[in-house]
Parts: sequence; C-alpha cells; structure tokens
Amino acid sequence: MKNLWLFSIIGFLSTSCVSKKDLYFWDKYDVSSYLYLKNNNEQSAQELIATYESIIVKQNEIRKVVPPGIYADYGFILMQNGKVEKGNLMLQKEIELYPESKIFIDRIIKMQEK
Amino acid sequence: MKYRVFFLLSSLFLFAGCESTSNIKKSVAYKGIYEEKPISILLMPPINKSTNVEAKEYFHSTLLVPLANKGYYVVPPFLSMEILKRESAYDAELFLNDPIANFGEVFGADVAVFTIIHSWNKTYGNVKVEVEYIIKSTKSNSILFERKGTINFNTTVSGTAGAYGALFDMLLTAASTIATKYVDVARICNTYTFKDLPTGKYGVFNPLEPDELSGKKVFSANLNSQTK
Repeated sequence: MKNLWLFSIIGFLSTSCVSKKDLYFWDKYDVSSYLYLKNNNEQSAQELIATYESIIVKQNEIRKVVPPGIYADYGFILMQNGKVEKGNLMLQKEIELYPESKIFIDRIIKMQEK
Repeated sequence: MKYRVFFLLSSLFLFAGCESTSNIKKSVAYKGIYEEKPISILLMPPINKSTNVEAKEYFHSTLLVPLANKGYYVVPPFLSMEILKRESAYDAELFLNDPIANFGEVFGADVAVFTIIHSWNKTYGNVKVEVEYIIKSTKSNSILFERKGTINFNTTVSGTAGAYGALFDMLLTAASTIATKYVDVARICNTYTFKDLPTGKYGVFNPLEPDELSGKKVFSANLNSQTK
C-alpha cells in the first residue's frame, strides 16, 4: 500500500515534467535553414527545398497543417530558383492558411510583378 | 525511513529537469501579452555581441520552430530577412530602443523578437551562452516579454541522433556534425526560454495558464541536447 502511494506521487511528478506533442512536424528544418543561411549555394537551397516539401506532406502533429512561414519561404526559394509560377502559388497558400500574412505577402507579390 | 529517503531522492531527480519558476503569475509577468494578444511575430536578425561569428546564424535559424510551436504566426524568416536587407534594416540593434510601428505596417507583425547573444564560450564538452530575448510590441512599443539566460550546454550528451535519427547522424560529415551540434545549442536555448511565453492564437488553449508561475526573468540553466 505504501509502495502504491509512493509510486502514484512519483508518477504525477514525472508527468508534470514530460513535454507534450508539438503543434507541427519540422523534419530537419533547423539544420537545413542554418546551412542555407550560412552557405546560400545550390546544394543548401536544394536541401532546404527538400525539407520544405517533407514538412508540407508529412504533417501529423497536433494541428495537422503546414506551419507558419513554410509555404511562403518555400515559394520565395522556388522563385529565386526560377520557378516563379509555382512560387506564387505557394505564397497564395500561405495567405489561405494564415490570413494575417496577407499584408506582407501581398506586398511581396506586388514587388514581383514590377 | 528508507521509503522517505527514496521518495525525496526521486522527487529531486524528477524536478532537476524542470524549469525553476519565479513567484509571479504569468498573468502579471506577461500582462502586456494577455492584453494585446499578439498574433504575428517578426524575427529580427539576432544581435551578436559574442566572439563566435556564426552564433548569429545558429540563433536566427532556430527561432521559427519554438515560436510557431507556441501558437504564433511567424512572418516567413527568409522572406522577411530579404526585405529587412533591402530596406537597410538588417542591423536590429538600430531598432532596439526606437519605435517599431513601421514593422507592423510593412510585415503585418504585432510584435518583433530581438535576440541578443552576449557571449558564447566553448570549453571541452561544454558551451556557455549568455543570451537575452526581448519581445517588443509594434503597436504600443512596450516590451511584452524579456528574459536573459546564462546557459551551460553539455555537448557530450548525444541528442542529434534522437532528433533526426541515427542514420542521418552517421551520414553527416564531420564539419556539418559540429555545425549541427551548435545549431542544437541555439535551438534548445530558444525552446527553453520561449517555453514560458503565453500560448498564441494557434496553440492549445489552457484556461489555467495565466495562473501558472512564470519562469525567472534572469535565469541560469544546465541543458543538453535531450532537454525538451
């Protein structure tokens, strides 16, 4: 009985420290974005694009939607690599998913059109 | 007697991984956040006062994840960085003490996050980082969140494998393994500090959160790559 009481308390204490599931799946975003930020070359761009594509298709965490900024930055990198049409499509997806991005993304789209 | 000793030791061990808190409720410590209810966050390029020239990139690339995971909309980091550079606003230090309403108008951001890396010192198996985070409102220009940490990071505890898988770890070159290790340091500093931030619009709502005790404004912590 004494054991049961002790283990119940320890169990409660341990669960209060355990981290919860994340809102989003990020794959290896931190490393890919660091390498792109540092090197900004073809290889790091391709690695970052692959990470974005993985993040977009593999969302199975709490929200089950693509995290903020991902569609837009993916679109931006695509545009820089000559894929303007697909890049624009990704920018539109950012606005659809996150309406608060409209002010900024509309500005980017207008800059592209000039 | 032996049960008491066992209980006390177990409790100490379990609490060792938890963050030490202040005696101030979040509703008081982060009053401005509960009042202004910011939705979107602009990441300012970190201000690097340390001697490690790459520390800025380590921190910049690892800010999106913890803030988005707290439920905030984060203005796309690479796109916003491009615009900040074009507008000659890449040096965040210039805006730390000035009104930042312009960032609200251009980026649609409710707040901006300033990260100041005061020091980054390596010794064998350890990195000691002093880093400060300031979240400033673009509407009221008030500081809504401010924490400064002295963090000892034990780099001998392997965590990259846990995060990305053993195979990925093995495939990395020696150089990028070192880079990955330091990206890990910044990622965990950011995650640990922003864990205290009230939950944003897209996060899991917790009605009891305002009554929880906030983390200390100035803190020190011993972390490793397995710290959640």
